[in-house]
Amino acid sequence: MTPASDTAGPVATAGLRNDLIAAAAIAGLGAIGYFVFPDDLAFLTRVIGLAFLVISLDLVTGYCGVATLGHAALFGVGAYAAGNACLAGVTDPILMLLVGIVAGTATGLISGVLVTRFRGLPQLVLSIAFGQLVAALANKLSSITGGSDGLAGISPGPVFGMFNFDMFGRTGYVFSVAVLLIAMVVLLRFARSPFALMCRAIKDDTLRARMIGVAVYPRLVVMYCVAGAVAGLGGALTAINTGVVGLDSVGFERSAEALIMLILGGAGNLWGALIGAILFELFHHYVSAASPFHWMILIGLLLIVVVLFFPKGLVNEVVRRVGEFRQARGAR
Amino acid sequence: MGWGLRSVYALAAVSLIATGARADTIKVGVIGTMSGPYALFGKNYKMGIDAWVAEHGNKVAGHTVEFVYRDEVSPNPAQSKALAQELIVKEKVQYLAGLYFTPNAMAVAPLLQEAKVPMVVMNAATSSITEKSPYIVRTSFTMFQNTVPAAKVAKQKGATKVAIAVSDYGPGIDAETAFKKTFEAEGGKVVEAVRMPLSTTDFGPIMQRIKNSGADMIFTFLPAGPPTLGFVKAYIDNGLKAGGVKLMSTGDVVTEPDLPNIGEAGLGILSTYHYAVSHDSPENKAFLALLQKGGAKLDEVTMTSVAAYDGARLIYKMIEATSGKSDPDKAIAAVKGMKWVSPRGEVSIDPETRHITQNVYLREVEKVDGKLINRELETFKAQPDWGLAKQ
Repeated sequence: MTPASDTAGPVATAGLRNDLIAAAAIAGLGAIGYFVFPDDLAFLTRVIGLAFLVISLDLVTGYCGVATLGHAALFGVGAYAAGNACLAGVTDPILMLLVGIVAGTATGLISGVLVTRFRGLPQLVLSIAFGQLVAALANKLSSITGGSDGLAGISPGPVFGMFNFDMFGRTGYVFSVAVLLIAMVVLLRFARSPFALMCRAIKDDTLRARMIGVAVYPRLVVMYCVAGAVAGLGGALTAINTGVVGLDSVGFERSAEALIMLILGGAGNLWGALIGAILFELFHHYVSAASPFHWMILIGLLLIVVVLFFPKGLVNEVVRRVGEFRQARGAR
Repeated sequence: MGWGLRSVYALAAVSLIATGARADTIKVGVIGTMSGPYALFGKNYKMGIDAWVAEHGNKVAGHTVEFVYRDEVSPNPAQSKALAQELIVKEKVQYLAGLYFTPNAMAVAPLLQEAKVPMVVMNAATSSITEKSPYIVRTSFTMFQNTVPAAKVAKQKGATKVAIAVSDYGPGIDAETAFKKTFEAEGGKVVEAVRMPLSTTDFGPIMQRIKNSGADMIFTFLPAGPPTLGFVKAYIDNGLKAGGVKLMSTGDVVTEPDLPNIGEAGLGILSTYHYAVSHDSPENKAFLALLQKGGAKLDEVTMTSVAAYDGARLIYKMIEATSGKSDPDKAIAAVKGMKWVSPRGEVSIDPETRHITQNVYLREVEKVDGKLINRELETFKAQPDWGLAKQ
């Protein structure tokens, strides 16, 4: 078992306390973002949208061991659905989020039914194929998606009918942090549930799980639906904040980038997914602003360093070190 | 919550700073493709802007102008919008410029009115962009603008049956629509219309289809880059060139940096475009000399450097007209109807569409002094954006 699951296992009883700690952590991070970087809210808002994609990917890759390179499809369909809902007159941001969740879940179901039938390379290939299929459809169905011009003109109404989305991105940011907070608390609870723990068991040893009578395939499909809901939520949030949905939101690069962020932060740990997304985007942001012409080289170097020295991801590595440190102190 | 009030304070503070008539530094945010597969075009933005600054200095109406660059990398509207917000809120730019991809420009457009920032689009070529905000001016081109003359030339050259092959994405579909409409209005017939996925590398089957259609001319559009080379090669290898089928395209297929790769096989390809590096005029000579003085290589010059050079002219004019104050309505009014001689020929800003009206040239790939160039054969004077003009 991984160190992360050791920490997640026995604490299921202390649920409420953990929820409060998680909520406080995100609210704290959110407040730091708001007050320390008041000029970068648009950027931070975009990162939160992407974080949902990475968290969603973590649910299937980190928790179930499903190899996928087509995960952006779930995100993009959510974004397009929310965008179309807005253009059709559903301008309330919360309703748009719900539309995104429903569309993401539906896509997750279709994708999960296909992808989790297999393991290993066939699975990877199917996930890529599914992603490419959705991307090709998004290009072809330009009456719904705007094709390569993007689906433009999405202008959501005010949140709760009171807070307008402004150019400084304040409303968008506070709204996004709130959605992230709620989603994270719910998901952390979900990650401690017997269902998610059983998914971990499937990941660690599928055969043994089967032997004790676990219906593997249906479980993975359900997990895919949950991941779809999370990704769809992120897509809808991004559509609300950006006002345009482009083909990039279903593209292969988006899927690959999400995987990189997940590996950076540490798979199998929702905090790892969140922090991986934030770290990658922060690094990208500062390096590309400092050197718009050469930043890609530095990103490449960062990834090599991380994979060489922290193969399990930064967050898992920190958790492990802290655990070792505590053990050493306990032994003394 | 105090943040409603805080935002009011901040807004007030920003507008105070923005309207102050002191001899400030005026920042211009340029969002362009500075890295990745489209890096050449972003580099050309900088080359064009540097050339303008080298020629006219960095002071306008007593204010210093500073250009701040950001990398848009790929079509990614969420990122571009965040970059634009950062430039507006943090860098406090008074003008925005650049934008290579349409969805990125579309994502920035809704910000402009609230931020009171005019934007000069230097590439993104979908007609409807300038309709998205009254604060957008465009100095590049549109697919319609370049394609309508292509259809007229096709008719003049005696083509009766044309096969259209375009890349299957927004601009490609625009090109197909524009060509078909114009060519059929002129009495020609489109016998085949193929939409090729952007990732196509094997054009053999497409050439076979065109051959079977009995067309006497192909009209094509693909975005500049490696695929154009494959397309032209397939056209020759499949015997269409030898069989007398002519090839007509927009200039995107035969951009000057690509010509050496296409090689002699490209000789005789016809295209219509708003700028050829070989355009013979004193303005263009001076422009190219400026670019070279700034360290640019002549082989790397593309249409985006001219769009950026002319875009910088508009920005200087806007700063001058508002004496450095933030007044987007006055700034935009100042450039509406503006006329000048650009390196690409005579141009003007259409006061209705805020898009550039310019000559479109018919060119043919020729070898001059051992170098492949697009030699201009014919000029279609003062072409508007046909995409908007017809609506």
